[in-house]
Amino acid sequence: MKKITIGVIGAGRIGKLHADNLLAMPGVRLKSVADPYLNPDDWSGRGVAPTLEPADMFNDPEVEAVLICSPTPTHAEFTEIAANAGKHVFCEKPIALDPDRVRKTLEVVEKAGVKLQVGFNRRFDPTFARVRQAVVDGEIGTVHLVKIIARDPSPPAPEYVADSGGMFLDMTIHDFDMVRFLSGSEVDEVHAFGAVLVDPAIGAAGDVDTAVVTLKLANGALAVIENSRKAVFGYDQRLEVFGSEGGVEASNELPCQVKLRTAAGIRAENPLYFFLERYQRSFVAELEAFIACIREDRQPPVGGRDGLMSVLIGLAAGRSMVENRPVRVEAP
Amino acid sequence: MKQTTIGVIGAGRIGRMHTENLVHHIPEAEVRAVASPHLDEAWAEGLGIPMRSTENSAVFDDTKIEAVVITAPSGRHSELIRQAAAAGKHIFCEKPVGFEEGPIEDAIAAANAAGVQLQVGFNRRFDPNVCRLAEAVHNGDVGELHGLRVINRDPASPPIDFVRRSGGMFFDFAIHDFDTIRFLSGSEIEEIFAAGAVLIDPEIGNAGDIDTAIITLRLANGALCVIDNSRQARYGYDQRFEAFGSKGNLVVDNNRPTSMESFLEGGVYTDLPPTTFVERYRDAFIAELQAFVRCLREKKPVSVSADDALAAVKAAGAAKRSMDGNRPVKLDAAEAAGGSTR
Repeated sequence: MKKITIGVIGAGRIGKLHADNLLAMPGVRLKSVADPYLNPDDWSGRGVAPTLEPADMFNDPEVEAVLICSPTPTHAEFTEIAANAGKHVFCEKPIALDPDRVRKTLEVVEKAGVKLQVGFNRRFDPTFARVRQAVVDGEIGTVHLVKIIARDPSPPAPEYVADSGGMFLDMTIHDFDMVRFLSGSEVDEVHAFGAVLVDPAIGAAGDVDTAVVTLKLANGALAVIENSRKAVFGYDQRLEVFGSEGGVEASNELPCQVKLRTAAGIRAENPLYFFLERYQRSFVAELEAFIACIREDRQPPVGGRDGLMSVLIGLAAGRSMVENRPVRVEAP
Repeated sequence: MKQTTIGVIGAGRIGRMHTENLVHHIPEAEVRAVASPHLDEAWAEGLGIPMRSTENSAVFDDTKIEAVVITAPSGRHSELIRQAAAAGKHIFCEKPVGFEEGPIEDAIAAANAAGVQLQVGFNRRFDPNVCRLAEAVHNGDVGELHGLRVINRDPASPPIDFVRRSGGMFFDFAIHDFDTIRFLSGSEIEEIFAAGAVLIDPEIGNAGDIDTAIITLRLANGALCVIDNSRQARYGYDQRFEAFGSKGNLVVDNNRPTSMESFLEGGVYTDLPPTTFVERYRDAFIAELQAFVRCLREKKPVSVSADDALAAVKAAGAAKRSMDGNRPVKLDAAEAAGGSTR
């Protein structure tokens, strides 16, 4: 089997994670990693060519696909350059915070005829994929409700919050995608209540840290997302799809199943601490899917339009919260 | 021991249940009369109830009766409260006390003027699970409260005749959840956004009601809450509650008839939740009447007040206006104040 040659742009936390996963994956050759701040020592002896210059990768005819894991404001431009260079693209979410910028990028990608997958890793989580499968198999009948709880274990630094695009585009964006994924429906309209209950510094940076978002779906179903930037007991990731024939739900995943029973009570482990632990398998699976699509010349299961829709829902949620009214989601 | 003498108005499903609970589980009470236009004589006689009538006046005019339990259709509640107050009877009334604030306020005023007690049937407040959750929240176990979630799904849609006179899903069904949120949070509801849909039975839509809803609420203490309702959960009566805060999360799961888990080829199975509210809230239904009778006997104010009843109706009205107008609706803070939320 011919190996697919890949380059990774951006060697921060998520870039390193993807690179490590690619290095462990059969049928893949991670040729280079580009990052203006990378430390070459991190990559020595691993068969990877580190570079400070992304252009090296775009100009390398051997590289078939690139992973864009650089900071969000650079996603759209790098995606376009890569597409114009004939590379398939895996881009971390979001492609851009401005939907017009996303639309322009998607046009470039389409014209170039390359594949684009967006990093909505949760679709590839085995638990959530199983929930979706139950829906697809009709086990719960017609979907009536989708409920998602997504709470981080601790809030990001206020400096990060200021550049993140706000909680809806930074954090809830995953949940918007999950609502679309689990329901198999588009979102028509959104209402959001937000509050600053965790950290006043987040409020001072112009963001919220707690929210409940109600969504009306095109297929008639209703959805609700609950977010918090701080769950002291760990990463709280639960969801439920309820329908005409029953319901299917996913609980938190725990590091182990030990239960301690004492006079004080019965104690189980807290959930896996954060996304790197909880979604470890999904990060591998999303890249495996991307590679398989290149190899078999198929369209990736989560593409540019999905990336655009989540941004549009996030913007509608933001506007809803500010204007305190339900807001229709803009057409793609 | 002199028993507290009670008359029951209405002998539908819930009227019969309350009557049986009084007869079988509350020795301090004596059910002296039951009145219902469709009274099952044999049933009432079998319980040893001496006065059985198709006329409510049989209850109101009997001077020995100290208290009435009103379980007639919801649309008649406020009128019956006024009649009971005029007759000087203490009142236990099923929820909701009505659909419109004006008549409810008049009924409450009549009860106050007559000096009789009025307790409303918010049975969740007497459920051991919900009580334990409330105690933990009020004890500060989750720290500062950030959110509550209530899942309230019926096992099967009610008959269309019932839907037509129920006042709609917010007044008939979610009314419990509005009260539970006030009870658990100890805070008032400030603002509501409700999204509703007809996904189960088009007949419910034709009757002007909905069968599925998501209601989000902003409380005066800042917490954000979610209620979800469905008229038909195939797997039983789905009753779950959570309280999330700065120190953690409290979860109350469904009760199960037994704790057996079956590990079989097709998967791991547990018992389904109970299939009716009568089963799920059996203890709560008894406890709320025990508390009512105890308060009458000890001459103490009842723990679920008329103001609580009114606050829940106001929330239901706001939810309806929110859904109909597709906009968030603020509850008047001044109006919503008062009542015991603990």
